[in-house]
Amino acid sequence: MSWRREWTLTVLLAVLMAGAFGLEPRFVSVKAQTLLFTHLWELAVVAVPMLLIIITGGIDLSVGSTIALSAISLGLMFERGVSLLIAVPGAIVIAALLGATNGWFVARLKVHPLLVTLATMAAFRGIAEGISLARPISGYPDGFLQVAQGPLPAIIFGGLAITTHIVLTRTVFGRWIVAIGTEETVSRFSGVPVARVKLVLYAVSGFACGLAAMILVARNNTAKADIGMGMELDAITAVVLGGASIQGGKGSIPGLVLGLILIHETREFVSWHWKQNELNLIVIGSLLLVTVLLERIPTRRKLGEIAQH
Amino acid sequence: MKLTSLLILPCLLALGCSSTETSKTSSAPDVTKTSSSDKGGKKITMALLPKKKGVPYFTSCSEGAQEAAKELGNVELIYDGPTSGDPAEAVKLIDQWTAQGVDVIAVSPNDPAVLGPAMKRARAAGIKVLTWDADADPASREFLVNQATPEEIGNSLVDAMAKDMGGDKATGDVAIVTASLTASNQNEWIKFMKSRLPKYPGLHLVATKPSNEDQKLAFSTTQDLMNAYPNLKGIFAISSVSFPGAAEAIKQAGKSGKVFVTGLSTPNDMKSYVQQGVVKSVILWNTKDLGYLTVYAARALVDGTLKAGSTTLKAGRLGDKNVVKDNVMLGGTITFTKDNIANFNF
Repeated sequence: MSWRREWTLTVLLAVLMAGAFGLEPRFVSVKAQTLLFTHLWELAVVAVPMLLIIITGGIDLSVGSTIALSAISLGLMFERGVSLLIAVPGAIVIAALLGATNGWFVARLKVHPLLVTLATMAAFRGIAEGISLARPISGYPDGFLQVAQGPLPAIIFGGLAITTHIVLTRTVFGRWIVAIGTEETVSRFSGVPVARVKLVLYAVSGFACGLAAMILVARNNTAKADIGMGMELDAITAVVLGGASIQGGKGSIPGLVLGLILIHETREFVSWHWKQNELNLIVIGSLLLVTVLLERIPTRRKLGEIAQH
Repeated sequence: MKLTSLLILPCLLALGCSSTETSKTSSAPDVTKTSSSDKGGKKITMALLPKKKGVPYFTSCSEGAQEAAKELGNVELIYDGPTSGDPAEAVKLIDQWTAQGVDVIAVSPNDPAVLGPAMKRARAAGIKVLTWDADADPASREFLVNQATPEEIGNSLVDAMAKDMGGDKATGDVAIVTASLTASNQNEWIKFMKSRLPKYPGLHLVATKPSNEDQKLAFSTTQDLMNAYPNLKGIFAISSVSFPGAAEAIKQAGKSGKVFVTGLSTPNDMKSYVQQGVVKSVILWNTKDLGYLTVYAARALVDGTLKAGSTTLKAGRLGDKNVVKDNVMLGGTITFTKDNIANFNF
């Protein structure tokens, strides 16, 4: 089943890029694409564990707020003179712990992930605003700022995506993730350590938020409590666009990668060509609808054929 | 099948890239950065970035900018900015304009620290960058289009207060409700207000209090000031947040026309207080002229007629404008009163 979504996305992407080449040749240049891609990595990094969580039938709404709290932790440590060599790993560990907190509520206390992460989405953002007094913390050394310009964010995402693809398709842990999303009770009785798997995934999500926070702070030269706002929706959209089922049990890394690139290119192209930043808000929703509709047309014909036989 | 699509992706990207190489060569003159003098008089593309798109203040600036672009006839103007005011979104736009290869970008930075690196990237790509409305790190831009000097603002505030209180012979205590005690803009203005005050020997500055950009605090601070200084006749509320706070306190104390308040704000924000008679004068620079001048400055910067060492700039209907070091000065403030405030909608 999942192969078809990836083909749909590939075709859409090809059509988009061909259209872009016709209308704005410069948009398709290596130079332009390299520069524009610098803004994708933090979302891409966060979307990978989001895919795994959604495959288990869960969701993580707190990613944007986790990014903010992790970024603020970095900023406050840096402001107090802590070396970035300690502050950066420290802020990533804090993010992983925040993720593990979500995981603990979901896995051990069995609270619905939507409720848990809705609560922590508000709480983490609130703490970030409170401890930073909502002021921006800037002034990082150039060496740190360069990190976001270089290939490192892309390498981080590449490593994360490839590892996850292997885990998902070739390991027992990967089969557990799919099994939990397909039939949780059955997998529990078949000996899948459901709680442990979930705890790990939410912690990994937090960890990825920590990485994304570092990329964002380095690129903006600023840690502020309002960063990463709305990131959860973009990440969930990319995952669903990539063919994952929101009910769980289904989803793939190639689909996600294509979904991310399609969202990114469509957004950038619309803003580039029509020069109206507010159009960005419409793009994602339309894209999701178009993708789903494109797949509906052949499916319904097939259903019709089945009905005739 | 999953692997197939993984393989397709690089192919697709490679396809896109290779086709670009051809496009690059075919449109070579367009892509190669020409030196500024070569662009003289030719059609250019200019991007104008507000702090926040869709707010009346910046919309009114953009109207002036469009007027100038139309008048010049050889400036294609892009006016775009984050509707959320999010500086990270502004960075995306600057990067996009850099990739597009526009000729000049004029930025009103919401957060200079965030926008600075993107502005420097644009400059490294050969794009002219200037700031308008608010400044950023001087290394990230060539010129600032400066709406008004602190001296002009300070003088206008004191003169308006004196006029409201009865002219040169005005007497009474006055106080300042500022943003925060560390706000650099406000502190500059206060410095010049203090040197202007001796022109009106009847006025005595008794206190300078912070409002920390909190309207409620501005409200209670104004109440406290009126209680502490019974001879208080005037309040300078010199941030857009403290101005309505102070006006509300005076209105609720029933002291309209007895205690005067003036400050900087947009006409729409203060219109009701002006029409009720609580506020007599609202000071601001001419926002339309600010957008207008920014486009002329951008054009001159690309043409090479505005460069380091320039002292004047020809700006259409505004005439010759002064250039002081790396600041293009708009100069002049406008005062909104009961008689004219209805004519302004921003």
